[in-house]
Amino acid sequence: MTFKRDAVAVAGYAQSPIVRHFDRTLGAVALDTAKQAITDAGLRVDQIDGFTSSALFPTAGAHAMQDGVSMVTSNWLAEHLGVNPTYVSGFQGVGQLPGSVMLAVNAIASGAATHVLVHRALHNPAGSYHGNPMQEASGSNQWTAPQGFFGPLAMIGMTYNEYLQRYGACRESMAAVLVEARKNGARIPWSYWHDRPLTADEYLAAPLVSEPICRYDADIPVDGVACFVLTSAERARDLPNKPVYVRGFGMGAPTRRRLPLHWPLDDLYEVGTETARRLWTTSGLGPGDLDVPQLYDGFSPFVYFWLEVLGLCPVGEAHRLVKDGGIDSDSRTGLPVLSGGGALGNGRMHGVPQMLECYLQLSGRAGERQREKATVGLACHSSPHFGGAIVYGADV
Amino acid sequence: MPGRPLPVADDLSASFWAAAAEHRLVIARCFRCNELTHPPDLVCPHCHHTDPQFRFEPVSGSGTVCSWTVLHQSFLPGFDDDLPLLLVDVRLDEGDVRLIGRLLGGADAALRAGSRVTVTFEDLAPGVAIPAFALVPEA
Ligand SMILES: [Zn+2]
Repeated sequence: MTFKRDAVAVAGYAQSPIVRHFDRTLGAVALDTAKQAITDAGLRVDQIDGFTSSALFPTAGAHAMQDGVSMVTSNWLAEHLGVNPTYVSGFQGVGQLPGSVMLAVNAIASGAATHVLVHRALHNPAGSYHGNPMQEASGSNQWTAPQGFFGPLAMIGMTYNEYLQRYGACRESMAAVLVEARKNGARIPWSYWHDRPLTADEYLAAPLVSEPICRYDADIPVDGVACFVLTSAERARDLPNKPVYVRGFGMGAPTRRRLPLHWPLDDLYEVGTETARRLWTTSGLGPGDLDVPQLYDGFSPFVYFWLEVLGLCPVGEAHRLVKDGGIDSDSRTGLPVLSGGGALGNGRMHGVPQMLECYLQLSGRAGERQREKATVGLACHSSPHFGGAIVYGADV
Repeated sequence: MPGRPLPVADDLSASFWAAAAEHRLVIARCFRCNELTHPPDLVCPHCHHTDPQFRFEPVSGSGTVCSWTVLHQSFLPGFDDDLPLLLVDVRLDEGDVRLIGRLLGGADAALRAGSRVTVTFEDLAPGVAIPAFALVPEA
């Protein structure tokens, strides 16, 4: 198996404002954002013949799933743009954004489509995001909901505590992750947290929700849409923006059957290490080559897990690295793993801030935030053992 | 006031919940490869046999705490009076079988990774009990 590096490129993008609640429907914003991305790529709507995405609404609640309102599928988007595409596909797994990008890569590399629109539309419903009035726990819920183990905050609390206990880490070290994410998010005009940095004291004063997780350890639910246009590398070179190539990828899934939402640390490291190996094999690169390693941070402990499985620091050492200033993107020696603000600094955009930062930096379009050396990027999503990541590259 | 969600037994889980109602912990064992699986699945996750004919065998209920979390907020009904709620992630002595349940006896229990626990049961309704854990005093 040999991955075709740099065969497909990102040619343009658009990002909506990220807010608590849109004053229009999610679908309407998605359509406007899609048109903007297509224009940004130097194309017309009628040139888009492929659509890929994940429409997952990541709630544990009992909210209605309504296309165009609480989620937006590729089919909905194509139909409402007035396009009859040759290829439409939705990604089913976890690691939704890298998964959707790979569907687009495959469609373009195979010739199933020429210009593919990848989108992600996320919705923050009225009321409690994860609250669920469940009285009967059936299916997989029967094993854990009656005990009260339910929803992603309990899930990550259990895994994070296992990390703290095993490596003698303390909650205080994580303040550096939150401060870094919010510092960078505060510089981003479309971010929900624009102009609103967070101090370590504010972080440590927040009440605990699922020990050792406090509310700042989880990204805030938002309404937001992002779109990217992908095409062949050859065609991308004739379009207005500098192409950003898909150079490698890694995806993984748990190999052991566990209770729902149970993520033991050993499972995470075992499969995460294999996900990382796949990234290096497909891309021909290693952790030392990454100029813009954008780690997923929907829950803050993911930053530790990705740092370690990727080999950016030894296993069990990420808490020390961040505490010692090792991820300060303003420092010459810091790893810029949250330079795009991540989910903690933008809002619950499910991998979009990571991909967008790679795209903006590698295409030279990051404006005042532009980094001097940015030719190789990595955009991660979800957990290393239950998600994926893409290596992006640009011409030197 | 709605209570806590109750487990709904199905073809795969009926034996587990019937035993739990009698305060017995049983775990599914595949007839073909002899491995334990929890929760049971349509297919054996070890040997991938599509008709694993699980036998639900009694286990000791003794295990080791791998992790825990204390919930200060519940997203389900019926738990508010029990907050903060201490949940433990337990590896059973019988093998790589992990269960999650409440640690009864208060959220301020002196826990560490490696603490020994034994299974106990919470009676939620007539004929419905779910596994929980209690600390085994250290020698
Ligand atoms: Zn078997």
